[in-house]
Amino acid sequence: MGDNKGEVEGANNFYDIQHRKYDVRKGLFAMNLQIVCAGIGGRGVLLASTIIIETAIKAGLKAMASDEYGMSQRGGSVVSLVKVGNFASPLVGRESANILLSFEESEFYRNLPFLKTGGVTLVNTSRQLLSANIERLLKKRRVQYFLLDADAIAMQKGMIQSSNMAMLGFFSAFDITPFSCDNIKETIRQKVKARLVEKNLEVFQAGYESAQSFQLSADSKNQ
Amino acid sequence: MKNEAGNMREVMIGNFAIARGLVEAGLELAAAYPGTPSSEILPGIIEFKNREKLAIHAEWSTNERCALEVAFGGALAGRKAACMMKQVGLNVAFPPLLHGYAQPLKGGLVIVSCDDPGPQSSQTEQDTRLLAAHFGIPVFDPASPGEAGDIAYYAMKYSCEHKVPVIVRSTHRVSHARESIELFVPGSRKVKLDEGLKLKGKGRIGIVTSGMTCSITMDILDELNLGDKIGLYKVSRVFPLGTEVIGFVNQQEKTLVLEETDVALEALLDHGFKVLGRRSGHVPSAGELTYDNVRDIICRFANDHGISVPEFNADTSIEDALKEIQIAPRPPKLCAGCSHRASFYAMKSAFPDAVFPGDIGCYTLGISMGAVDTCLDMGGGVTFASGFYDTFAQDGTLKPILASVGDSTFFHACLTPLYDSVLKKRRFVLVIMDNSTTAMTGLQPTPQSGITADGTSTYSIKIENIIKGFGIEFLRIVDPYDIPLLLRTIKEAYEYLETESAGPAVIIARRECLLFSKIREEDTRDMARLVAECTGCKICIKTFDCPGSYFDEEKKKICIDEGLCIRCGMCYYACPTSDEGKSLKELKKVRNEKKRREGREDSKK
Repeated sequence: MGDNKGEVEGANNFYDIQHRKYDVRKGLFAMNLQIVCAGIGGRGVLLASTIIIETAIKAGLKAMASDEYGMSQRGGSVVSLVKVGNFASPLVGRESANILLSFEESEFYRNLPFLKTGGVTLVNTSRQLLSANIERLLKKRRVQYFLLDADAIAMQKGMIQSSNMAMLGFFSAFDITPFSCDNIKETIRQKVKARLVEKNLEVFQAGYESAQSFQLSADSKNQ
Repeated sequence: MKNEAGNMREVMIGNFAIARGLVEAGLELAAAYPGTPSSEILPGIIEFKNREKLAIHAEWSTNERCALEVAFGGALAGRKAACMMKQVGLNVAFPPLLHGYAQPLKGGLVIVSCDDPGPQSSQTEQDTRLLAAHFGIPVFDPASPGEAGDIAYYAMKYSCEHKVPVIVRSTHRVSHARESIELFVPGSRKVKLDEGLKLKGKGRIGIVTSGMTCSITMDILDELNLGDKIGLYKVSRVFPLGTEVIGFVNQQEKTLVLEETDVALEALLDHGFKVLGRRSGHVPSAGELTYDNVRDIICRFANDHGISVPEFNADTSIEDALKEIQIAPRPPKLCAGCSHRASFYAMKSAFPDAVFPGDIGCYTLGISMGAVDTCLDMGGGVTFASGFYDTFAQDGTLKPILASVGDSTFFHACLTPLYDSVLKKRRFVLVIMDNSTTAMTGLQPTPQSGITADGTSTYSIKIENIIKGFGIEFLRIVDPYDIPLLLRTIKEAYEYLETESAGPAVIIARRECLLFSKIREEDTRDMARLVAECTGCKICIKTFDCPGSYFDEEKKKICIDEGLCIRCGMCYYACPTSDEGKSLKELKKVRNEKKRREGREDSKK
């Protein structure tokens, strides 16, 4: 069974290095990582979580997912819980997830209780800022958050349905082993329909690049 | 991807793992009726059958009883057979299950029944393991997708060896979880049942658990560092229960039983006050055992028995901060542009005060439009309509009764109650919402589709031919996108019901499901007018509630969600200021005026 202490330390490191640079984080190994992917039907949440677990499994890690999509065929809440590492179940408890990937803004709020102190979240939204209360909460809980207009990125590339790829692109910029840009791209090539691969990779790349510019602006703020 | 042994590995859901296990065990005949969370097993069997080029008969049966009897027949005649269903589907299959174990099988029979703790997409939670124990049928309870595959394989061998039917009980958390599964050459899998002592503990307190709850329990004992303090016994075969687990319970001062959904293990162990669980109030009496639930239960159990563990205290400041955020509620809804919504709107408009017996399927969601009053079981809508009619008739009144049912459910369970109603001349309107598929469970074909489970073509049994065959006089087939026509037809049907010799009136509202058939260009409309003419009255939100549009509180206007709206324009009928809405209002009046006129004439006389 896993080493709990190591995981907690890892999470703290995660938070600290967030404030410096992405590439410093390379040393962080995805041992015992809990990720919540949340969104609504038709936004590719399940494809994104598939790509995450396939990437982990290819790197020789144990990975599982538990999907919940309710009764709606389209437009309902979809949550995919992902656990990478030494776990027996794919289910995630309250305030336990290291990372919350929100493919839709309201699902970010709905699933926020999953995120642990010191966790990281990426939110697909057109907002520039979160409300003062939420920001205060995230600060108190030492949560690092990133707001990304993944819909706009996907729309720009003429692929409105592929905002999930922009999200994954940004996520790959965190460079948590084994979820590097190259590794995830390789999985996308295998998992996405052949005729859509190139277009999807384009959106993915745009998401990845927007993380780079995000970093610059965050750095300049810090200075 | 290959592993060290040269076997392929593949990420799949639990239901596919079960399918793989059955196919590797030499499955020859498979029959199923779709129902969440079991629906993906039969497609999985067909997938692996095609890959391995095996001769397996795989069918979607008309209902669960047919599925079980077909599989049973195969097993009696020497085949390795399996049937798949959801937990409430097993109720439909009771008659053949009842004395199933009394017939020695020549082949093997595995029944896969998927439970729905919560429930998330069923009318009730129901524990298949309890029924299995009640009927004396061996039942297995896998704890992960990987184990589900192993157990499916093991269960087939077990059934062949003991010549009895065997049940594999999955839950949605197993069926819909995904992990990497090893694929073996058919017949070469080596399975040893993963059952027994997992953690030794100190002999003071222990936990007996099975299914996904067991996996969650292991993660939690790990998280709380209780691994060396509490004993853990994992059960895989719940009935007949092994004797070793009873020995484990005897060694402990107290044992906690963690299982979903009812008290199968707890009842079978039956150690009086030594065993804690749902009956003693240590585990909630209903509902899914989520990660958080299990963590709380184990913390309390440990602390009660002298093992101190810090209790988990939720950070309520999260909820406090979220209070100001308007999180869009997402109740289950019909898709944007769904033809069922148009049908319900016409039904509700025609007779707002009617009784609306409903049924099981996507169209149960008509409940939010006030056009579904009841939802009991498959086919229950028609029989309820009969009961309501008989009640009103005894009182000498003819109240409008508008029952609804989908095409797949119609074939599953409505034929018997419908011809019964013809014989008894019951006067109600039955709207058969025919979208040519079983939409809610993932687009399985119906007897009308003209295709079989693996896509080959077959006969198509037309609903209208059945209706005519029953001798039903009033039958109309209407496109539900023509809301005015459907509304007029419903009124016409009711006028027919007022005639002397009337029996049930049937309207088939026929339009293909949008999930497999895109809207035709000629059916689309320009949506700009809806926004431009919007007065902000919100009536369309209240009465039509389509996810394709939403109300913008800042602009005080309706807005189109470009990603979801399919431009069917049905919402125009729900807009009181649009031409369509006004014309519908006129139609609604017609009958009322006629009634008033007749009333006046009566009073003159």
